[in-house]
Amino acid sequence: MADDKQLIRRLLAGDERAFDTFFNAYFARVYRFALPRLNGDVEAAQDVVLSTLTKAMRRLSEFRGDSALFTWICQICRHEVVDHIRARRRSRHVVLIDDQPELRQAIDSIEAPEEYDLVENYGRAETGRLVRVVLDRLPSSYGDALEWKYIEGESVEVIGERLGIGTTAAQSLLARARIAFREALEKVFGAEAADIASSLGA
Amino acid sequence: MNDEDIAQLLNSAGPREKPPVEVERIVRARLRAEWLAAVAEKRRDRRRQTTLALAAGILAAAIGLWLVAPQLGESAKPVATVTLASGEVRVSSGWSFGWRDIVPGQSLAVGQSLKTGTSGRGALTLPGGVSARLDQDTLLNITGSDNLTLERGALYVDAGPSASPVSRLDVITPSGSVRHVGTQYEVRLMRTGVRLRVREGRVEWRARSGGIEQSASGEQLTIAGDGTVERQAMPLYGESWDWIAAVAPGIEIEGLPLARFLSWVGRELGREIAYATPAAASDVSGIVVHGSIAGLTPAQALYAVLATTSLRAVLVDGRIVVGSEGAASRPAD
Repeated sequence: MADDKQLIRRLLAGDERAFDTFFNAYFARVYRFALPRLNGDVEAAQDVVLSTLTKAMRRLSEFRGDSALFTWICQICRHEVVDHIRARRRSRHVVLIDDQPELRQAIDSIEAPEEYDLVENYGRAETGRLVRVVLDRLPSSYGDALEWKYIEGESVEVIGERLGIGTTAAQSLLARARIAFREALEKVFGAEAADIASSLGA
Repeated sequence: MNDEDIAQLLNSAGPREKPPVEVERIVRARLRAEWLAAVAEKRRDRRRQTTLALAAGILAAAIGLWLVAPQLGESAKPVATVTLASGEVRVSSGWSFGWRDIVPGQSLAVGQSLKTGTSGRGALTLPGGVSARLDQDTLLNITGSDNLTLERGALYVDAGPSASPVSRLDVITPSGSVRHVGTQYEVRLMRTGVRLRVREGRVEWRARSGGIEQSASGEQLTIAGDGTVERQAMPLYGESWDWIAAVAPGIEIEGLPLARFLSWVGRELGREIAYATPAAASDVSGIVVHGSIAGLTPAQALYAVLATTSLRAVLVDGRIVVGSEGAASRPAD
């Protein structure tokens, strides 16, 4: 949150590097948030993401820090998706499982209802997508580092280089990322990574 | 949860989808323009507040407001007029969804964007009479009263004859910007970089990395993604320039000296006007044109106008040779 507020201050002051940081941290995540809600329409997603980020930029001074900046941007994006669908009636409104009230609350606040058994209730594809949603809800450097390490098989040195930090700092960041990921998974799924992986057929 | 569990889970879920590079490029450029506008607006507000605070009385406050009023309205002030739209040419505001068809005569303001479809082309008139023409499949943002951001496709700028006063205009691309010094030029975004072709006058290429390159008439600059600049000579006329003439804004010819009409055709076609004989030059100087060339391309207009005189023209390399009937044949279209 403190980082978010500092980033906002720099953005409002016209700091070019802050713009790059903001864009690199949020563009892809907002795009992934919008795309499935627009039935995979890339052109519509482009419009909605641009509109969302533009509105977020314009309203940055209103951000109070009650939630993570990404959660706040996602709220704007939900409205933009609805407006877009209303403006173009031919588009089909897609309701995702993570838009259902109980899950949305869990994802937004990382406070899942204890009895909610997601893995059992939803299929493999939806569960896999939700794991990726969880990754996107982590700070962007955490999600990126985890993906680079465990999917792309990159070394800690390379991850440090990509993030512009040293190897030791990258190791420390990866450790924090693992903890945050595990906690987020347990809150959203009510299950541990190994159980979720096995439900995915791993 | 150990490393193995995480690796297994993430690999089972698969990697997160990466947005298309083109979408990222477009959104970044447009968002950056919006951000710069918002920052500038905030600074203006701050300046305005300071002005008001310093005002000693009602008169001073009134003067202060009068001074800043034009700036406050800048974003809504029209900065371009549509002169021609052929095929699919659409406009969008940066603040709302949806693209609407544009119509000739329509005013455009800072923050609006134009896009042409695969069969569309358009032409705008900018302050100072500068003509800007959009080729097919082009996306252009009006990011300021003196700058346009090209995100896709190609833009041709005609700032008028070299001798005329020049209005400043920067064309911004992802890797740098182009500033003219009284000229005609085309800037085209390619998959591998930017291609800049100068037809008349000079332009400055200002790379994002800071370097500045000058280019003059008859030169083509190819700027690669890594900033490398390659220069080569190129013709000022021919097939690759035809799209520009196809969207040339027409001119009123009623009462216009024929010499001025020929000069306009020559600039649009990238060819010099030459005379087959001194007598032909003398004839041209005494003729005034009447009628209209609305809806005709410059080449078609050339035939139509000369057909009403005893003169004819023929295209020879980079020249339009005007001579007496029988001495020059109809130019190839």
